[in-house]
Amino acid sequence: MRWVLGVAVVCMGNAVLFAQDSEEEIFFEKKIRPILVDHCYKCHSKDAKSLKGGLLLDSRQGLRKGGDSGPALLPGNADGSLLLEALRYQSLEMPPSGKLPESVIGDFKVWITRGAYDPRDVELDKNSESKTINWSESKQWWAFQPVKRYSVSKKSDMPWVKKKTDAFIFRKLQSKGLRPSKPATRRTLIRRASFDLTGLPPSFQQTESFVNSKDPDAYEILIDRLLASSHYGERWGRHWLDVARWAEDNPTSEATNPPYPDSWKYRDWVIQAINDDVPYDQFIRMQLAADLLPDFDRKDLPALGYIGTGPVYHKDPRLSRHVIETFASDDWDERVDAVSRGLLGLTVGCARCHDHKFDPISVQDYYALAGVFSSSWEVNRPLVDMAQDEEERLIWAQDRIPRLKLAIDLLGLPATPSTPEQIDALKRELESLEKTPYLDVPMARAVYDAGIWIDGSDPDFTWMDIRIGEARDLPIFIRGNVSNPGEIVPRRFLSVFSEGDDQKFDRGAGRLELANSILEKAGPLAARVIVNRVWGWHFGNPLVRTPSNFGVQGEKPTHPELLDDLSARFVENRWSLKWLHREIMLSSAYQQSSSYHETAVAIDPDNKWLWRMTPRRLDFESWRDALLVVTDSLDTTFGGPSLELDMEDNFRRTVYAKVSRSQVNPLMRMYDFPDATEHSPSREITTTPLQQLFVLNSQFMVDRAEELAESVRSMKDSQAAIEFLFRKVLGISPDENQRELSQSFVQELNQSGTEDVWAVYCQALLGTNAFIFVE
Amino acid sequence: MTSTNLSQDSHCSRREMVASLAGGLGLVGLSGMLQGQTVKASSPVLDFPAKTKSVIFLFMTGGPSHLDLLDPKPALHKYAGQRPKSTQLRTERVTGGLLPSPWKFKSYGQSGTEVSELLPGIGSCVDDICLIRSMYTFNPTHTPARNLMHSGNIASTRPTLGAWASYGLGTENEDLPAFVVLSHPRSGKLWRAGFLPSEHQGTLFDQQETSPDKMIRYLRNAHLDRAVQQKQVHFLQQLNQVHLRARDTSPFLEARIKAMETAFRMQFAASEAFDTSHEPQYVRSQYGENPFANSCLLARRLVERGVRYIHVFSGPGQPWDDHDKIKENLEGRCPDMDTAVAALIRDLKQRGLLDETLVVWTGEFGRTPVSEAGDGRDHNPYGFSVWMAGGGVKGGMVLGSTDEFGFQAVENRINVHDLHATILHLMGLDHEKLTYRYAGRDFRLTDVEGRVVNEILT
Repeated sequence: MRWVLGVAVVCMGNAVLFAQDSEEEIFFEKKIRPILVDHCYKCHSKDAKSLKGGLLLDSRQGLRKGGDSGPALLPGNADGSLLLEALRYQSLEMPPSGKLPESVIGDFKVWITRGAYDPRDVELDKNSESKTINWSESKQWWAFQPVKRYSVSKKSDMPWVKKKTDAFIFRKLQSKGLRPSKPATRRTLIRRASFDLTGLPPSFQQTESFVNSKDPDAYEILIDRLLASSHYGERWGRHWLDVARWAEDNPTSEATNPPYPDSWKYRDWVIQAINDDVPYDQFIRMQLAADLLPDFDRKDLPALGYIGTGPVYHKDPRLSRHVIETFASDDWDERVDAVSRGLLGLTVGCARCHDHKFDPISVQDYYALAGVFSSSWEVNRPLVDMAQDEEERLIWAQDRIPRLKLAIDLLGLPATPSTPEQIDALKRELESLEKTPYLDVPMARAVYDAGIWIDGSDPDFTWMDIRIGEARDLPIFIRGNVSNPGEIVPRRFLSVFSEGDDQKFDRGAGRLELANSILEKAGPLAARVIVNRVWGWHFGNPLVRTPSNFGVQGEKPTHPELLDDLSARFVENRWSLKWLHREIMLSSAYQQSSSYHETAVAIDPDNKWLWRMTPRRLDFESWRDALLVVTDSLDTTFGGPSLELDMEDNFRRTVYAKVSRSQVNPLMRMYDFPDATEHSPSREITTTPLQQLFVLNSQFMVDRAEELAESVRSMKDSQAAIEFLFRKVLGISPDENQRELSQSFVQELNQSGTEDVWAVYCQALLGTNAFIFVE
Repeated sequence: MTSTNLSQDSHCSRREMVASLAGGLGLVGLSGMLQGQTVKASSPVLDFPAKTKSVIFLFMTGGPSHLDLLDPKPALHKYAGQRPKSTQLRTERVTGGLLPSPWKFKSYGQSGTEVSELLPGIGSCVDDICLIRSMYTFNPTHTPARNLMHSGNIASTRPTLGAWASYGLGTENEDLPAFVVLSHPRSGKLWRAGFLPSEHQGTLFDQQETSPDKMIRYLRNAHLDRAVQQKQVHFLQQLNQVHLRARDTSPFLEARIKAMETAFRMQFAASEAFDTSHEPQYVRSQYGENPFANSCLLARRLVERGVRYIHVFSGPGQPWDDHDKIKENLEGRCPDMDTAVAALIRDLKQRGLLDETLVVWTGEFGRTPVSEAGDGRDHNPYGFSVWMAGGGVKGGMVLGSTDEFGFQAVENRINVHDLHATILHLMGLDHEKLTYRYAGRDFRLTDVEGRVVNEILT
């Protein structure tokens, strides 16, 4: 080292800055600045296209203030400076394109040791600093305000206004120069309402009797009949399962993330709860904390599947603590996302690496919520009553046994440094755990309060460290990196909803406190979110068109007063979904025709203002179920374990088909069934040639057509057969045009000597747009 | 998505379209009128002039050993069995001392690039190949690392590279999917569209099969001959026309009518495109007779037919995962792969297609220089080799290097995001501009990273 000045310079402090052409300045200009400019500015200067790590290296202030990981340098303390660590590729690896030569790194060490002289003096740009959340301002956001009822005047000259919702819609339509469409025909209406509430088509007889009914209340009676049907829960339960990203296995389904054979119990619990019209607030409380509610009944344990059947990563214990903790934190992240987007319409996941860029959600908020899930152990729990210590022993054993088996397998491999004694100890533990009582009682996938840590004490084998009776508050993982922990954040709810001080969760993991916070502190938002979803499932489009994002980046409601008023009344009507369905379906808006109208389309092509009912394609489940209904093949058995969709003799409703994350059924995927690996805000409807190949060529369609053809084969008169098939499949009598086309097609086939003419005909009918379309 | 786009695009042409539909099958059809527009409607325009039209992505599942194939390390012999300090890196399994490669490396071509004697075919093509010896990734396990290589993220949810390409560029052949996957059907979900509209997901063809109607589900009707099916579809479309006319207009109904038309034609287009028996025997024998070779040959046929992105897996399971017996495994496995890949490059070149087709060869990571089980290698995310050929990359080039043992990339380090940024760039897309708004954020394939590796571009 040729630096005689050494420590003295550090003591001189700023005096150095005034020295002209000082040795420091020359050194900086020759050795330091060019390196910073060439290798760092691209990502770490105010001119960077996108600033990385929040770190500015183009000024003295930037370097000293540092970025997300803290100050980049400590003048005088080279070895304690992050900048040097990064250049040495010790923690961060910078620059990413390759380690700089040792001589350059040496220059930096010298420079920092000598006090890091730096003439680049700037006022730090306010915009380049991370924005802090303005809490009082953000509390004013529309979605966080209390819901309130609005009064509307009842004018006798507005016969269109049947329900209060209509008044809001009518006013909007008027202001946009639009008029509502005329009422739909009863034939259209019964098909619409039946598919909507039960996912099944009405029979021709039901349709005729509804169409010909003289009862002025016929429609209301119809709605009540459909709501009372157990098929209603199968349909609306399935809507909820999209939100809950429910599935029966894991994306990889390996030794530490096996499939969930009991997962169907959650699906059945949801269907039953919907059929029973369990109030929505209770419905949510049970899914987060059924086991903590007064009068807890174990038959409600499967409700905890909302968390318990979530997707989990495989955690091969031979991986380092760092990698395993990354996987675990991804699991927790998924739970934060499922709860925040699913129940609150907030993208809390965006705050994992930094404060949310748009919404009032801090990185502390994120880890405060994530801590609930790092304290919630996802396990199978017994469905029979037992004492707490018995249950704990049981779930410990059933969680631990497969881990021990895996460990014994892995440690038994050659080339592992384990000793026979270690393996014997594991084997003894396994043997004793296998004697745990009640291992074979019926179970449900659920959660149990316990803190989850990762034990990295053995460098060769990483264990999960599960501590019953403890909760684990998480540190902020800076930039989402588990190896870079910051301050520890106690478990609590989102700050923007708190009055005064943030209240910490202290009952176990805090699941019940979380549920109560969602429904009380954030109750108005939670109510708006579900009312909006239900509206969307009825009308095809929700009022807030980003149903899982009510934040700044989401859409604003098309009818804010309507959404508020309906949400307020929904809460008053004890959060009853059946009340909500009636309120919506008995409105004039719902009962409108879906006819095209050129002027209206020109003004409002997306039907935002609801000048008509939006016509829709059936979703996959309804379409397949309808194909089974009209070919008299549907098996209406309720509930139970799932069947593979493609099994030849699977004639059950599609909601009972197996839902896999590892092998997504290709047919379901082809028809826009959501990937159950994450929360699905709404279904994207696509129309592709591959779907039509299924219509043309699949054995399922061929079988349905043959099934249907069977019913007309004995008919002598082809006219009668055509009439019968149109009624059966489309619920209508063919008009003249359709009759003629059909006749000549059948004739043509007969003349060309085609075998099984009726099956060919039936398949075409089942493949029509009319069949898959609801108006 | 389709319907939204149709509603924007179909206004002017609706009348024409209905007229053409009424004419039934066999007429010009709607493809030119609609699909090209609709597929691209939501997509960005090209950010740069595209250097490649198509991508063939050859994925060596399991993580092939760069140390035995592409990155010679004489020091492994010198320090065989030892564990120098710089090799104390944690991988998935417990590992021992340094394991020298059992194979020699040879200089090939004018560039003199050294390639293992196991790969004489690829060696003979080195002057068309840009070899990157300084790749690294971020996870030592298969699934997350594969997700990284395919979608830039460890999660099994993000859109894959092919889906981004389809989203960004659409298709050039309406009778075939834009993103074709040739794989064993149980290989997982590495061709998902994620949050992108599902039309962009890869269409899987089963590479274990050779007859086209077995390669794709529902491609053929086992019961009806073509003439009867044509009548059936004609009748079905007539009913749909009557239904549509009564409603005046509906983007959805129109799209579904069109999809039926395309499906009907696709049966024949795909049957033709996917049938390698149309190729002369001498061509087929250049590639070899095995599922992977057949897939390589198909990839060339699909490039000729305008398919945007063809993803070929090297076989079922994870064949290149050589935790033990690396010598006999690679000796058994390399010749078929080497022959097929070399034939593909030569064939593309002879047909003048290599200039506009990018061939990428990679696994999810490389393997360790230190041994596992005495005769195998563990997963190595710290450093491995990838190569590209054709479509805008420099041939005969070697970029970057690993340390003296081949454990970590040290010079010109390139990560998966950089690779993705570069591939998109070659297709004419700026990886920072190709975004999709989802869950409140604009997502990119490269997340917040990625650098176009300009050094390797022509």
